[in-house]
Amino acid sequence: MSEKFEPKIVAFVCTYCTYAGADLAGTSRLKYAPNVRMVRLPCTGRISPMFILKALQKGADGILISGCHPGDCHFTHGNYHARRRWMVFRSLLDFIGIPTDRVKYSWISAAEGVKFAELINTITEEIRALGPFTQYHGLIEETQSQASL
Amino acid sequence: MAKIGVFICHCGENIGGRVDCSKIVEALGEHPGVSVSVEYKYFCSDPGQESVKKAIRENHLTGIVVAACSPRMHEATFRKACAEAGLNPYLCEIANIREQCSWVHSDKDMATEKAIDITRSMVEKVKLNNNLHPIEVPVTRRAMVIGGGIAGIQAALDIANAGQEVVLVEKEPSLGGHMAQLSETFPTLDCSQCIMTPRMVEAAQHPNITLLTYSEVEKVEGYIGNFTVRVKKKSRFVDMQTCTGCGDCYTKCPVKKIPSEFDCGLGRRTAIFTPFAQSVPNNPIIDKDHCIYFKNGKCQLCVKACKFDAINFTFQDEYLDLEIGAIVVATGFQVQDTAMYGEYGYGKYPDVITGLQFERLASASGPTAGKILRPSDQKEPQHIVFIQCAGSRDPSKGVRYCSKICCMYTAKHAMLYTHKVHGGKTSIFYMDIRAGGKGYDEFTRRAIEEDEASYLRGRVSKVWQENGKLMVRGVDTLLGRPVEVEADMVVLATAMVPQPGAKEFAKTIGIGYDEYGFYNEAHLKLRPVESSTAGIFLAGACQSPKDIPDSVAQASASASKVLALFSKDRLEREPVIASCNEATCAGCWGCVLACPYNAIEKKDILDRSGKVIKQVASVNPGLCQGCGTCVTFCRSNSIDLAGFTEKQIFAEVMGL
Amino acid sequence: MSIEVQYRDRAKELLAKGEVKLVIGYGGGSTPNRRRPVFASSPEEVDRLVLDSLCIANLSGYLVTEGLLSDEKKVAVFLRPEGIRSINILAAENQLNADQVVILGFETAGSDIRPLEGGNVLDFSEFIVTLSENRVVSDSDPVIDKLENMSAQERFSFWQDEFSKCIKCYACRQACPMCYCRRCIVDCNQPQWINTSAHTLGNFEWNIIRAFHLAGRCVECGNCDRACPVNIPLRLVNRRMAVEALNSFDHFAGLSVTQEPVLASFKKDDTETFIL
Repeated sequence: MSEKFEPKIVAFVCTYCTYAGADLAGTSRLKYAPNVRMVRLPCTGRISPMFILKALQKGADGILISGCHPGDCHFTHGNYHARRRWMVFRSLLDFIGIPTDRVKYSWISAAEGVKFAELINTITEEIRALGPFTQYHGLIEETQSQASL
Repeated sequence: MAKIGVFICHCGENIGGRVDCSKIVEALGEHPGVSVSVEYKYFCSDPGQESVKKAIRENHLTGIVVAACSPRMHEATFRKACAEAGLNPYLCEIANIREQCSWVHSDKDMATEKAIDITRSMVEKVKLNNNLHPIEVPVTRRAMVIGGGIAGIQAALDIANAGQEVVLVEKEPSLGGHMAQLSETFPTLDCSQCIMTPRMVEAAQHPNITLLTYSEVEKVEGYIGNFTVRVKKKSRFVDMQTCTGCGDCYTKCPVKKIPSEFDCGLGRRTAIFTPFAQSVPNNPIIDKDHCIYFKNGKCQLCVKACKFDAINFTFQDEYLDLEIGAIVVATGFQVQDTAMYGEYGYGKYPDVITGLQFERLASASGPTAGKILRPSDQKEPQHIVFIQCAGSRDPSKGVRYCSKICCMYTAKHAMLYTHKVHGGKTSIFYMDIRAGGKGYDEFTRRAIEEDEASYLRGRVSKVWQENGKLMVRGVDTLLGRPVEVEADMVVLATAMVPQPGAKEFAKTIGIGYDEYGFYNEAHLKLRPVESSTAGIFLAGACQSPKDIPDSVAQASASASKVLALFSKDRLEREPVIASCNEATCAGCWGCVLACPYNAIEKKDILDRSGKVIKQVASVNPGLCQGCGTCVTFCRSNSIDLAGFTEKQIFAEVMGL
Repeated sequence: MSIEVQYRDRAKELLAKGEVKLVIGYGGGSTPNRRRPVFASSPEEVDRLVLDSLCIANLSGYLVTEGLLSDEKKVAVFLRPEGIRSINILAAENQLNADQVVILGFETAGSDIRPLEGGNVLDFSEFIVTLSENRVVSDSDPVIDKLENMSAQERFSFWQDEFSKCIKCYACRQACPMCYCRRCIVDCNQPQWINTSAHTLGNFEWNIIRAFHLAGRCVECGNCDRACPVNIPLRLVNRRMAVEALNSFDHFAGLSVTQEPVLASFKKDDTETFIL
């Protein structure tokens, strides 16, 4: 039997809620899958669609974007702006054929360490089930073969 | 060329026991740009920090990454160590390999791999970090308090008593606000005027307070510590310096039948007037709209009556531009316009009045000298029906919230009435009795048990007149049947709503407001007295319906925020703020709209002749809080956020 | 009197009276079926103007040419309904003063062409409101239906084939009235968010980000689609964004000169069913 596929997942999170929630998962010694790499930002409002494209270029099989629940934003409105962007960008990715299952969005507060740990486990399993994002990886390989020419 | 130091902390067994630190040291040691890669048991300890400092000095490091616990724990510690070693503190990044790695993963190999990834990506980020310096903003130590009700007076006095200058601006001719209109106050039934007037006088006479009554704020520019506020001093047509407030002018004024605003239309005033007997200041003003002289150029009886030649019809409005460091907004509320209650007959039947009108009737200085008399025939009513939630908690009237004070003042009204009219009966229609507060529930119980207020749980559908009586039809939901009550007078506990023009005023001074026009706090729970604009604070009912103790408490809280701001000559702010590349900005103003703090201004770029050649966005460092929402909006990548620049994030992601 | 003559006369009059300094319209192209832009700055040049159902390009983009409107003089421009909406967006985004634009409006349906009353963009407010109420986005396309029925994988392959043709000539950007940035994101190399090589990955990134930047701003004039030398169906992506803005945020691009950009504004109760 072949080795279990370990998906590569990149998470973009705001420092005030989700990052703090992930810290809480740590201080509570909860266990979750080690597949996620976090990128800390001041606010979900700072998370640009470009980040997602770059994470895909780095071979990510899945992406998580997470921040404060509506109404809880440290900067009052950042997550409301982010939510609109996500809505639009998600629809665009879907139309282009980047499966919506691979790019996840969530609200996780600083108190939701358990939710964070559970979400990471769920997402990891879902993306594992989807398998590697070979279609996109194909594009990356094409650039490398061109570069070596 | 980057020379990065990487310091991998074992945190005892916390990290060392679960990830292979030597592997991280080895992996990072081979990473391009890394000069030092070392591990240690506790880098946060004194010897640990010393070793970091030593490494910085000896290797002339251009940045460091400490792979350890969360940056929320020790980022400050290691930034300080950097500064002590002569490295800009913002050239330090933390790789969180404890809370987000060693503590949460059980597979050592995978955890180690993850720790390497995390550390490497921070190394890539820190290579692009820039020297940042805290932003220093000078502070003008002069506060402005807008609104001279109890909240504004309290805030002004607290700031002034701490030795700082205050400008107190009130749009009406006198201080006092709504509290001056009240008769007695719940739950102690002490007379409102008796506790209010000394405060008004104290504020007016305080050496640190400049009082500007009959004045309005027209424009606010600048930012925290450095506002310029334009105040319009409306002309009173009375020279405040020479006027003694003797009152000869208004006794002679022939126009006597103007409904008094202060008495909610129940009393009358003259065209030259003071709003009420205890007005502060007590100098009168001339009401241009009703004065005969202003209508046809004749009369001038007041001028003749004045022994001090204080009256001058040619006085003009004045404008003052004031340098202000902090602003407290205490603009208060208004009582909802009752006209929308056609079914309750307000405006149609003179004996249907608002709670505030009842206050004036009950007030010893009011139009009836404290006697409860019906406006229609000046007779003493024998039965009064009170209707609570007249507007509040009624989405169909546009007010979904609870006005908070009505349950209490209605109980108070019922008590005052039975104290004044022996044998008088009271019926109160209510939805719920909300009496949370010190001594409040005891107070409403007293109204029921001692003063025999009859509470009927239900809504009123209609009020009409029949045989000289007011008929009130409602429902008693506890008994589950409709009721009709005969009354001599009906008092509506109308909703507390924002001041007229509250939204426009918020735009003038640059703060946020909710769907109703109440002003938004920066954080509902943790920053309830700060507006979302740095340096502007909130007090009293302009933020949400409040009673007197809450308003006073919030006013003192705002004052302490102002005083904290004034405790230093210069204000230091985190340098994590946005800045705009004027060369590439297209001036589309998306960022201006998206910014939650109104921190982005429109800047004109001029040519040599002074002509505007283009407009660009410009970030005000005093207002920016560093969320980065503008950066993401910007299509041309013209705005960037220090500390989380596009280049840094790009490198961080590409380093994963 | 044909609409062409009528509009020529109007243009001539505007120039002769000095009400406008320039008329931007259509003229004959390199083949009988093509039209190209004509810039008339004197009444004599007006005779070159052509107006028929082949005049479909959105000419509003020429108005934001650096310096054109900086003398505060007016310019007249031939515009279809999409072009009029573009004026609203450009005004809302501070790129021009709508009062400097005299609109010579017309609409076409098949080979029919008819004039639209008005001159200032505000004169067309009601007309645009009607368009928005009818939720007019361009007609559904058979390709769209085909795409919607595909699996994500098949859609990816479809776009992979299409985008692999892209030569990064940026004709789409050049033709688009909304691409007025002084520096395009793709030309920003610090950092280089979008790969500039014309490999498929870079092409994906470029086309995705361009579509995202047009969300809630594209009026579906079709300029980009027609400009593309390798015939990538760009209209499909932009249409999807327009539908999204309309359905999710009730945002009809170019509704008025005061409309807020869909991505710089929000409602507290915006949909969020997809957020975990």
